Amino acid sequence: MSDIVLELQNVSRIFGEGDAQVKALDDVSLSIRRGEFVLIVGSSGSGKSTLLNMIGLLDKPTSGKVILDGKETTTLNDGQVSQYRNEKLGFVFQFANLLPDLTVLENVMLPQQIQGSPEDIRQNAIDLLIKVGLEDQINKRSNKISGGQAQRAAIARGLVNRPTIVLADEPTGNLDSVTAGKIVKLAKTMAKELNQTFIIVTHDRHQFPDVDRVITIKDGKAFSGEETTMEITA
Amino acid sequence: MDYRVNLAARMLANKRGSLIGAVLAVSIGILVIHVNFVIFQGIYDAIIRDMTEYRFGDIFVSHEEEATIERSHVVYTNWFERVPLVKSATPRLSGSADIEFRSMGKFNEEFDVPVVGVEPVSDILASKIHTTINEGQYVYARNSIVVGETVAEDLGGVRVGDNLKLIMTNQGGEEVSKRFVVTGISKTAGGQGFDTSVIIHIDSLRSMLDRPDESNSIFVKLNEKNPEAAIDIRKQFLAAYANDDLKAQTIEESAEATLKGFRSGIAMINLIGYFGMGSSAFAIVTIQMMLVNSKTREIGVMRAIGAKRKDILMVFILQGMIIGAIGAGAGTGIGLAYTTYAKETNMQFQGSLALEVNYNWPKIAETALLAFFLAMLAAIYPSYRATKLQPVEAMRNV
Ligand SMILES: Nc1ncnc2c1ncn2[C@@H]1O[C@H](COP(=O)(O)OP(=O)(O)O)[C@@H](O)[C@H]1O
Ligand SMILES: [Mg+2]
Repeated sequence: MSDIVLELQNVSRIFGEGDAQVKALDDVSLSIRRGEFVLIVGSSGSGKSTLLNMIGLLDKPTSGKVILDGKETTTLNDGQVSQYRNEKLGFVFQFANLLPDLTVLENVMLPQQIQGSPEDIRQNAIDLLIKVGLEDQINKRSNKISGGQAQRAAIARGLVNRPTIVLADEPTGNLDSVTAGKIVKLAKTMAKELNQTFIIVTHDRHQFPDVDRVITIKDGKAFSGEETTMEITA
Repeated sequence: MDYRVNLAARMLANKRGSLIGAVLAVSIGILVIHVNFVIFQGIYDAIIRDMTEYRFGDIFVSHEEEATIERSHVVYTNWFERVPLVKSATPRLSGSADIEFRSMGKFNEEFDVPVVGVEPVSDILASKIHTTINEGQYVYARNSIVVGETVAEDLGGVRVGDNLKLIMTNQGGEEVSKRFVVTGISKTAGGQGFDTSVIIHIDSLRSMLDRPDESNSIFVKLNEKNPEAAIDIRKQFLAAYANDDLKAQTIEESAEATLKGFRSGIAMINLIGYFGMGSSAFAIVTIQMMLVNSKTREIGVMRAIGAKRKDILMVFILQGMIIGAIGAGAGTGIGLAYTTYAKETNMQFQGSLALEVNYNWPKIAETALLAFFLAMLAAIYPSYRATKLQPVEAMRNV
């Protein structure tokens, strides 16, 4: 199996029409290898979230191809894309985005339930919650725990289906710096322990001192490394 | 438990206001139908009940063309009483009389008072008119008379033991009169009884009118209410006496003319009930739209982590089903409690006739099911709207 888990080929995303047109992504090509811990940085409004939405199959490019695990995804229908998201991707959002009506455990069980996994869903979820240090919070309503705990739970939920890539959009953006540091450390530990590919979007480079690769977005264009002008190629 | 069921239930449980509102909407719709049924169907059935018990029996035989049946009633009542399902058959004859009453020197007179002649022994078996005597007792001798409450009042306050004089014109055109002793006063709630008549022994009436052996009608009572059997028996009877020019009607047929208008009234009121149910469906649509709008981000998150459109649809339709089930359960429960209360207390309105309350199980089930399906139907549009929310909603950082 190829070492490349994700490939973007000439991806553009244009919002709006005519004069109001915004080119949020401009001909981006890049590829990610298995096990990489990748940081996407850039100033606010540069197109980071738009890029992550493309990678996460949450939105479709105006042109270009998104190839996940060797499969071109832009031609898939809504149901197939949903299944891809469920099986191959894990999401961690800025505001943890746990479902407030469910307990912490139920939130972490959810991706496997949606998949209809034949495994011991409950045990898988509990194991992960222990790994992220939430063994005491398992049966709490998920809106009754702190922001840092919620983000830990969200990481567990992102990992539970053993996805090809975990995507995180500003995962520390809503946390104080001490808590943020702990979350970053947790993500790194999980990545190493599970050989898990991570793609993390942040506007704050300094919170992630030690990463495999940095991609910088500026005005919808992607560059390899930090503040360089060299365009990356596949 | 399926995660969609769990999620649907939890969302509702955590939005107690919406849940209670939606459940109330469903249950009130049902309750309106139950209350309507208890009251209006109750009045309808009470009228039928009283008409059956006092005036027509389950089968009512009269002459096709003439006012009276000339052949002796014994032939017919014997025929009926040989049928196992028949409890009793009794002849009746009617006429009218002027009544004179003297009390403490005062003279009172009423003209053209309806007179009902009954055969006491079989009438007590067939009819319940004897139970309407709330003072004294029923006709038992040739000179006994039971006076309807209204007549008693109009005559200036007739009491048990008083003497009345009845004056009639007989078949030959002669005026005849006879004195009677009042044995009872008859009073019914709702006016289906003989409050405006007097009741005497059928033989007294026959002899006064010079119509020996004649009757107007045969009142037939079955052992229990059984409309199909009544139709059968009526048919057999008419076949057995095909040459006698008789007419035999079941109570439904006898009451038809009286109750036709009433029935369309009930249909109208039921329509209002169903209209109420329809509006409760709109309430559910509104409440669920609010719920869907407040769950935009959650729906986005679910879509992002892989839930398909049909999963989202399921969650919200399940909510409609939960609302429908609880609402139908609660509405039916409260409706049945009201029905039971009405039945046990012999509910009546200001001294009018007591409602005839019945549990119409097919209708109760039908109403509950209808409410359930309406709630589910009402959930379809909000659920469909929920499926249109995009997974990127989960990413919005606001
Ligand atoms: N749904 C949208 N409709 C219109 N414009 C959008 C939409 N999403 C993003 N944009 C625009 O695209 C550009 C990049 O946005 P975004 O990817 O959110 O930036 P970042 O995450 O780096 O702050 C911005 O100019 C933003 O206004
Ligand atoms: Mg962003």
